[in-house]
Amino acid sequence: MTIQIFDPTIEAKGRHIAYAPRPKSLAGLRIGLVDNSKHNSDQLLLRIAGLLERDYGAKAHVMRRKRSAGVPPSPEIIDEFKAGCDIVVAGVGD
Amino acid sequence: MELKSRHYAASDTAEAMELCYAKGWTDGFPVVPPTEERIGAMLAAAGLDPDQQVAFIENRQVSVTAEKIAINAVLAGCKPEYMPVIVAAVEALADPLYGYHGPATSTGGSAVFMLVNGPIARELDMNCGDNLFGPGWRANATIGRAVRLIMRNTIGTLPGVLDRSSLGHAGKYTFCIAENEAESPWPPLHVERGFKREQNAVTIMAALAPHQFSNGLSSTPEGVLTTACANMRICAGTARQPQYVLVFAGEHMAIMAKAGWTRDDVQRYCFEHTKISVAELKRINLKDGAVGPEDDTAMQSLVQTPPDFLVIAAGGRAGVQSAYIPGWGSKSGSQSVTKEIRRP
Repeated sequence: MTIQIFDPTIEAKGRHIAYAPRPKSLAGLRIGLVDNSKHNSDQLLLRIAGLLERDYGAKAHVMRRKRSAGVPPSPEIIDEFKAGCDIVVAGVGD
Repeated sequence: MELKSRHYAASDTAEAMELCYAKGWTDGFPVVPPTEERIGAMLAAAGLDPDQQVAFIENRQVSVTAEKIAINAVLAGCKPEYMPVIVAAVEALADPLYGYHGPATSTGGSAVFMLVNGPIARELDMNCGDNLFGPGWRANATIGRAVRLIMRNTIGTLPGVLDRSSLGHAGKYTFCIAENEAESPWPPLHVERGFKREQNAVTIMAALAPHQFSNGLSSTPEGVLTTACANMRICAGTARQPQYVLVFAGEHMAIMAKAGWTRDDVQRYCFEHTKISVAELKRINLKDGAVGPEDDTAMQSLVQTPPDFLVIAAGGRAGVQSAYIPGWGSKSGSQSVTKEIRRP
């Protein structure tokens, strides 16, 4: 006798994610840095910002710290970056 | 009842079990083949329609339906009457306070500790006594297992892919207990958290493995807790200031009861006596930087507040053992969550 068994997984649904348009140049742009609160993440991000400013002409940077690595930035941080930054650097790992 | 999940044919039960392995649906142990009849019984026991959304995991953008929960509960070997407990636990996983993404993905390797309170624990024959964290009880073994299989199969928390635990621990197979409400010196934990005694509830916490400590010398709460605090003082989970579960078993529980210590008394004592100096944290490389002149007197508490010790009574009557369970990460990343278990 044939047994039918049912699938416990879900199939990922295709979802369109609209990326922000990439700038052609970083010259004169303001950088937002998302510090994920991991050890030395701030040091790495400041290093990156320094390179972007020195080698690519970015104008300034501001860094804000998440309350924990496992959560998104707070709405306040997102609002501040939307208002005051042209690009954002995030995604620092262990 | 119409199930929407894809289904596969097998010639017999043995082949169905092997198919589940081949599809990557198991935790390594054999599973019960999820047939329509078994899935239907699970859904009926919870009074849910298959396509009903039980939880939405925001970080993963995953909708967890009753049908998928039921399929995984069958795989885990649950009885249908366990289903409402699993549903409540999945609701808790989706609570923003629990913060699914962090504990599920972290190299820190937490499991989902589950504490079941209320009459349902007795009705389901959930263990709250001997061999508390060990094998031997179907409800403890399979309810926790079902939640982990849901995380694996439905939320995609696959080891080495989304779940990047460096080590993990045995609680990731199952980590589900009941509280010994009948003999506890304290109100059940769910009552402490605003539920009525006759209500059923499940509390989840992202947790590392239980650490047992022994004290057969003391006959006072201070004596027992001195040992507990000495063990906990430098044990900070994977970061600083997570929540902790403190599990007091038979003889230690009796000492607390005899002395009339409330849960609050235990929490306050442990809060004060697990503080550690910043200097010591730096010396043992749990805090960055050189030891400064103020660091020997600057004290840091193990948890943010005394109630961050979840004090419960459970474990065997005999013996001088109790345990503490460090939470994962820090309280800012994930907190314990209690949800009511609803039955139709």
